[in-house]
Amino acid sequence: MSIKVENLVHIYSKSTPFEKVALDNISFDISDGDFVGIIGHTGSGKSTLIQHLNGLIKPDSGKIYIDGEDITQKDINLTKVRGKVGIVFQYPEYQLFEETVYKDIAFGPTNMGYSSEEIDKIIREVIKTVGIDENLLEKSPFELSGGQKRRVAIAGVLAMNPKILILDEPTAGLDPKGRDEILGQIKKLHDEKNITVIWISHSMEDVAKIAKKVIVMADGKIVMYDSVDNVFKNDSLLEEIGLSVPQINKVVRRLKEKGVNLGENIYTVEKAKKAILDYIKGAKND
Amino acid sequence: MINDITLGQFFPVNSPIHKLDPRVKILSSLIYIVAVFFANGFSGYLFVAVFTYGVILMSKVPPKLYIKGLKPLVFIVVFTSAINLFMTEGQIAQIGSVPLKLGFLKITNEGIVMAVKMTARLIFLVAGTSVLTFTTSPIVLTDGIESLLSPFRKIGVPAHELAMMMSIAIRFIPTLLEETDKIMKAQASRGADFENGSIIKRIKALVPILVPLFISSFRRADELALAMECRCYRGGKGRTRLKSLKICHIDYAACAVMLMFVLGIAAINIFVGV
Repeated sequence: MSIKVENLVHIYSKSTPFEKVALDNISFDISDGDFVGIIGHTGSGKSTLIQHLNGLIKPDSGKIYIDGEDITQKDINLTKVRGKVGIVFQYPEYQLFEETVYKDIAFGPTNMGYSSEEIDKIIREVIKTVGIDENLLEKSPFELSGGQKRRVAIAGVLAMNPKILILDEPTAGLDPKGRDEILGQIKKLHDEKNITVIWISHSMEDVAKIAKKVIVMADGKIVMYDSVDNVFKNDSLLEEIGLSVPQINKVVRRLKEKGVNLGENIYTVEKAKKAILDYIKGAKND
Repeated sequence: MINDITLGQFFPVNSPIHKLDPRVKILSSLIYIVAVFFANGFSGYLFVAVFTYGVILMSKVPPKLYIKGLKPLVFIVVFTSAINLFMTEGQIAQIGSVPLKLGFLKITNEGIVMAVKMTARLIFLVAGTSVLTFTTSPIVLTDGIESLLSPFRKIGVPAHELAMMMSIAIRFIPTLLEETDKIMKAQASRGADFENGSIIKRIKALVPILVPLFISSFRRADELALAMECRCYRGGKGRTRLKSLKICHIDYAACAVMLMFVLGIAAINIFVGV
């Protein structure tokens, strides 16, 4: 499903001394099946932006089209929109509330009006996607470990079968293994079901690894919206707004300064590893 | 969703009233409340009105906000003036020669006067005390309360502990509101509907908000207690403050103004009395 945002403006605490322009005339398009990373400083408007995309907050002006349908109009059925656009918030494990994992995952699809047989089928499927064991289903979500809670919470959103999945720092506070697993699971989900994914992250490494396109935000504006390669190529602008490029990119750059040219567009450790190995092989053959 | 709720009402601008010591402001508010009840006759009310308006102007907080603060009061004002209007004994009022009496309902001259007075009093009280909450941040306010309560420690009033509890409670109101907002949004994203349906349905819809909220409140309380213990918090004994309260010239000036206000009301009561 495609997303189209036109001249979106959002102002917090309008006409008080605390007034703050959170989104300043933002326009962009995300096409069906895309995988977009959003990076930007704390307070740059990322979270505010994504909350507009399923109608949780209303813009002060501007239009948002999900699959061609304007969701800013008054008589829109927001429950339906929220079934299409699933948002996984930061630290989603804090929203768990049911007695069992099963019931908690079922909360979303029940609200969407699925029958209990459908829900059962969906739940068996999503727990496989996020990697939860079936015997956890009857446990209380509060007995689980942090990583497992996170997965249950993500499963709770996936269970609504969203066509657009928005994740707000889904890997924050996880250990490297848990982070890589969730990263892999979302990527797999995207590849298999061709759902559109929007991924907010502070980790340039994650974005470089998983996203196809990147939106760079600063002070409520979109500074860049381009492919991963083109965004990370522009390291001076990124550093100017207080962001950085993936660490491995810096290593590659320093190597280049020292006369070891590994080539362009190396933003992940895997790519760098391959490039270095190729380089060594090439050097040996010379 | 609930961003519009402002904590307390603190309105940060730079005005002489904002600069006053919180203790002076709290005591002045108390004196003001008592004085308003002593004010008598319409000249007394006029005097209080002029004084209140003057202070409101001095606080540099837009008068619009004070009026907004009065809105929740409409019901109470209507209710009390209705009771006063109909229940006060006295001479039955007349419009022309028609007595205002219908069955057991009657409007007396005394009732009308009483209703007007009560309404004016309520408005004065709320507007006057709003000056305190508009111009004093909650934390400063609790500091002031602690300082004012400290003489009572001798008779066993735990002044510091009370103030600390108040500070913590106030400190966590915005945090909990934010948390509630976040949880509401998360559950709304999962299709929860808080606005439609029968009352039972809407009460049930609160469960997905309240359970996570309780859990996180207990977690926060636990973490805070641990953090305080780690920093060797031992209660108020021997603690000094970063910003100690000091009475300055402007505070003496404020005391003088309050004294004049009280004397003014007394004078009107004694000499004018209408």
